[in-house]
Amino acid sequence: MKIISILSIILLFFSVNIYSQNYDNQKFEKMNNDIDSLKELIKPGKSKFLLRGYSHSGIVITDENSSFVGGSFNPIFIYKQSDRLMFESELEFELEDRNLNIGLEYANISYLLTKSLTVRFGKILLPFGIFVDRMHPAWVDKFSSKPLGVGHGGILPGSDIGIELRGASYLGSSKINYSFYVMNGPRLNEGDEEPDEAGQLHYDNFPDNNKNKAIGGRLGFLPLSNSSLEIGFSGMYGKVGSGNSQYADVASKLYAIDISYIQNLPFMQSVLDVKAQYSGVITDNANYRNYDNLVNPDAVYTFTNQNSTTFAQIALRPAMVNNKILRNFEIAGRYSDLITPEGSKWASNLNQWEFSLNYWLNWRTVFKLSYRTTEGETEHTEGAESPLGKAFFFHWAIGF
Amino acid sequence: MKNKRKSLIFSSFGVLILVMLISLLSNCNVSNEIKAKSGAQLWGENCLRCHNNPSPETFSDVEWDVAVMHMRIRANLTDEEAKKIAKFLKTAN
Ligand code: HEC
Repeated sequence: MKIISILSIILLFFSVNIYSQNYDNQKFEKMNNDIDSLKELIKPGKSKFLLRGYSHSGIVITDENSSFVGGSFNPIFIYKQSDRLMFESELEFELEDRNLNIGLEYANISYLLTKSLTVRFGKILLPFGIFVDRMHPAWVDKFSSKPLGVGHGGILPGSDIGIELRGASYLGSSKINYSFYVMNGPRLNEGDEEPDEAGQLHYDNFPDNNKNKAIGGRLGFLPLSNSSLEIGFSGMYGKVGSGNSQYADVASKLYAIDISYIQNLPFMQSVLDVKAQYSGVITDNANYRNYDNLVNPDAVYTFTNQNSTTFAQIALRPAMVNNKILRNFEIAGRYSDLITPEGSKWASNLNQWEFSLNYWLNWRTVFKLSYRTTEGETEHTEGAESPLGKAFFFHWAIGF
Repeated sequence: MKNKRKSLIFSSFGVLILVMLISLLSNCNVSNEIKAKSGAQLWGENCLRCHNNPSPETFSDVEWDVAVMHMRIRANLTDEEAKKIAKFLKTAN
């Protein structure tokens, strides 16, 4: 009797176990099916989209006044249409002289031709040196203002419209990257509209002022296997005068050498970031009308049209210390200079130092406290245009 | 004038072929040290060259697909690097 009851208990135990196992299996299968159908519902298609961008503003205190400035908002649209096709665009909404300026920073299509070659069409940030396409966003730049030579009053190209081939490959443990492009190219200011800027190059050249297209490129070498060092050589050549004018044969050569170095310094528990660039812009000499000569309206003047600009910056962030506050601080210093042609109406010889103490709230949100001092000679010495003197900045920038 | 333009087109074409040759040749030439790198290591070495290293938890998998393709082109990453980095970011987010 005892044996029978023990056996029946064991039997019962097994059958319950088998039943519950079955039940678990069924439940599991159902869950799996549910997950599959959910996956079907939210399955991402090939076409994917990101709306990102950044914004920044701040306060500037100079010898003469103080003002809240900036207030720029730059949305970036990125569409990945397939594994090979992508579109990127950046708009800039900026307040200037109480007006809202809207700019198209870039808008281009990229197509991955091979594993190491991509073609881009449209308006692109030119890979001329490293500032424009790698450092210009306010949340990337470690300083509150741009170095001399960049942007308004500068000599460096920003963006242009055309076609570019770019890519990267390894040579053993070293890496090279390359970019080669054909663009509308710079446009010469011939002096009839803004006589004070005769001889300067403008980079917003669309539609093109001549049939000639500018060609250029950049070659980057990363000799170390951890890619911490990069040395880049850039060049660009094109005719810049209007096709049917006396300036038709005036051409410009632009060149730049850049260097970037990132290194962890374990003994300081810090990351060191060094970046520098030297660039030259040489335009053929030409005669420009001298509008200041009221006696002889046909009087002309000329000058050797050679320009150069440099920047070199160093930043140190104790990113590896344990203290949560301290590791978000960064100190940075930058030297920059700009030399524009003597004898021109926009001659200048300027040099500038900027020092910044930054606090990073996260990898793309930063508060910058900067001090800048600019010395030298320039034609624009008065009013807000003057870059000379000392300035304090408190800026914030957020990338999103 | 016409000749100049012709020579410009020819030289452009020359540079193009050179670039393509370099890229074809060099891809057979990647050292084992580079081949052995993990996605995490490549992320640690590459993504801080221009800005702070982006933390993986910033984005969802789909968003990383787009952002890494954006950076592949901007930062001239190789196909291999982009794939490994995307995979790392999508497992670490
Ligand atoms: C060659 C410099 C450079 C390198 C290297 C680089 N980035 Fe960027 N990154 C940029 C710039 C410049 C922007 C801002 C884009 C803009 O405003 O046009 C950016 C923006 C971003 C953004 C914001 C969203 C977007 O796509 O604009 C993310 C995310 C990002 N980078 C991730 C990465 C990752 C991950 C890596 C490593 C694979 C990386 N970056 C390496 C230059 C670089």
